[in-house]
Amino acid sequence: MLNMTNIDITVDAEQQAVITLQIDLGQSLMTAEDYWVATQTIGSEQRALLQPTLDRLGRELRFLLDGSVQQPQLTGFEISATSLAAIENPLTPQMATLYYRLDVSGGEHLNVQLADQLEIPWPCLMKIDIAGQALPQSRLLTNVDRLSRDTLLSSSAGNLESDRLAQLAYGWTKLAPEFTWVAVGFQHIVPYGLDHMLFILGLFFLAGGWRPLLLQVTGFTLAHSLTLGMSMVGIVSLPMSIVEPLIALSIVYVAIDNLFATKLARWRLVIVCLFGLLHGLGFASVLANIGLPQDQFLLSLGLFNLGVELGQLAVIAGAFLIVGWFRRQTWYQSNIAQPATIAIAGTGAYWFLKRIAF
Amino acid sequence: MNSTDTSNRPGKLGMILGIGVFTGSLFMVEHAISMVTTPLNFATEAAAPGTFPDTWIHGSKSAMDNQDPAVQVHAYNEHTYILRENKAINYEGAFMYLLFGNQKALLIDQGSTASAALFPLRDVVDGIISEWEAKHGQKTTLIVANSHLHGDHYAAWNQFVDRPDTVMVGLTHEEVMDYWGFSNYPEQRIEYDLGGRTFIVTGTPGHQSSELAMYDTWTDLLYTGDMFYRGRLYLEDWDAWAASIKRVRQLADEYPVTHLINNHIEMTSTAKVDYPIGTTWQPNEPPMQMTIKMLDIAVDAIDDVNGPGIYKYDDFMLYNEIPWSYTTDQ
Repeated sequence: MLNMTNIDITVDAEQQAVITLQIDLGQSLMTAEDYWVATQTIGSEQRALLQPTLDRLGRELRFLLDGSVQQPQLTGFEISATSLAAIENPLTPQMATLYYRLDVSGGEHLNVQLADQLEIPWPCLMKIDIAGQALPQSRLLTNVDRLSRDTLLSSSAGNLESDRLAQLAYGWTKLAPEFTWVAVGFQHIVPYGLDHMLFILGLFFLAGGWRPLLLQVTGFTLAHSLTLGMSMVGIVSLPMSIVEPLIALSIVYVAIDNLFATKLARWRLVIVCLFGLLHGLGFASVLANIGLPQDQFLLSLGLFNLGVELGQLAVIAGAFLIVGWFRRQTWYQSNIAQPATIAIAGTGAYWFLKRIAF
Repeated sequence: MNSTDTSNRPGKLGMILGIGVFTGSLFMVEHAISMVTTPLNFATEAAAPGTFPDTWIHGSKSAMDNQDPAVQVHAYNEHTYILRENKAINYEGAFMYLLFGNQKALLIDQGSTASAALFPLRDVVDGIISEWEAKHGQKTTLIVANSHLHGDHYAAWNQFVDRPDTVMVGLTHEEVMDYWGFSNYPEQRIEYDLGGRTFIVTGTPGHQSSELAMYDTWTDLLYTGDMFYRGRLYLEDWDAWAASIKRVRQLADEYPVTHLINNHIEMTSTAKVDYPIGTTWQPNEPPMQMTIKMLDIAVDAIDDVNGPGIYKYDDFMLYNEIPWSYTTDQ
């Protein structure tokens, strides 16, 4: 089974498709003799010999754009064979290559259909490579499956399929394109950044007024923006096997400091900023997996950061809505802040142990 | 005077204790969850035992009158299934593999026939999976993968595209590299985790330029697909194949191997003699599994081969970059 048929479709950024069809014509649509004769001629004579086969392919190999049949334009072909015997031998395929061009602009879905009467060497493997999609897609046409599954032509469809985070972002894109990166940043805190949420809550549960809290959150923010930016342009990098356990430790530290410090030490702000540097590296690793668009790098990085800030503010606002009302109560420390802080420290320690173990 | 206030609060020791207890209870919850799901243990210390059939179903004199199942199913052990397409349906008689780990099953190859009526591979695989799920109390995700990208090994691929809980690796080189995580194919070795069952995957181009070999650390089986089996090894790129066979030998040096397993049987039980190409009946077939000694002979063969042509060995033949004009059945 060496002579299966191949259809490669490459769609460029201008939505122009180049179609390459590789097929063993001498074993399928032409007799071995006719194909051999065609390979021994050139120019218009060769074209005339191939014309009936090209016409048949034009009718029976159909390219459907949103359901309607399109006529691709033949731009060239290459046919060759070592001998008539080689063409006749099914184990020594003598492949012909045909090139087509098709304008798919404005279309959303592309399908390929083989007419029922079209018999080609099976199976027929299609590779569809769309500009902007991370990976090509495979479609298999066989004598029993003659219509390919739908292929979405939009450049962002393919690589968004698997990532639920990116999928949510994709939903945002449709609503308001400029908010996409804000949304992605927000989701890095709520709901996917549980460790960052706990760190922020650790700051929240520190006894004291609003001023130190705001000061610490601002310091933390500036610090992680710095390392996030530096990491994304490749100035700094640390292996996640080191960053992740340290992030967990930072949660433990903040929580224990809450419990044991009798009064707010000045250097707490410094330490929180240092932890911010760490958390920035953590954000960068996740963001690197999604990838920032090269043409709008700084803008999207800024918007992402804005999203992270909004996520942090949402955590603090949420915490305040739930328990903030009781901050002035005498039992707030012993019944709410302390148990919560102990739980935060315990969770941080659990993560730390898990992260150094694997 | 707030002495009553402070006496109610736990001391430092109490708080440290509280943190410890909380951390400990998170580990206990995690352990409890893992106990409920009782994962299967695919230990690598000793090779998990398994058996091959004495003979495989090997077609029949008259393909029309063949009454054998379209897909022969053989359980090498309870988590390792070897499937073979009936030779009377397609002369390739290709072997396929269905391997189970916790919550995951890996199907390697989908045979040579597309039609579900003639070759109901999906039904057979679904049947094995649901039986396995019932027995082990687990739901599995099926991963549909391929040893290499030739049509006699993915013809029934479409039968799986609409299957729920299924990952289709894909049939393009790029998709294959992306799924397994190759950044340096073929030299790279990938440690692939099939739910606690670890495979070492490496690139073995030569017969086809996206081919993979896989070593199962649980059964110690080494799978060599179409690049090494008892038959006519069609090599489209000699240099690549020579490097691949050395790479497989190196793997077998570093890990204990019980058997080499693969995709076809084309040799007869007589040394240096193959069945005719395209035959649908192979009486007196030799076993599919091969030995390290045979692999050594293949490695030594590298020195024999000096250009395109057919090179015959006791248990395999090298069809090296044969010119297309060659008639292969001479």
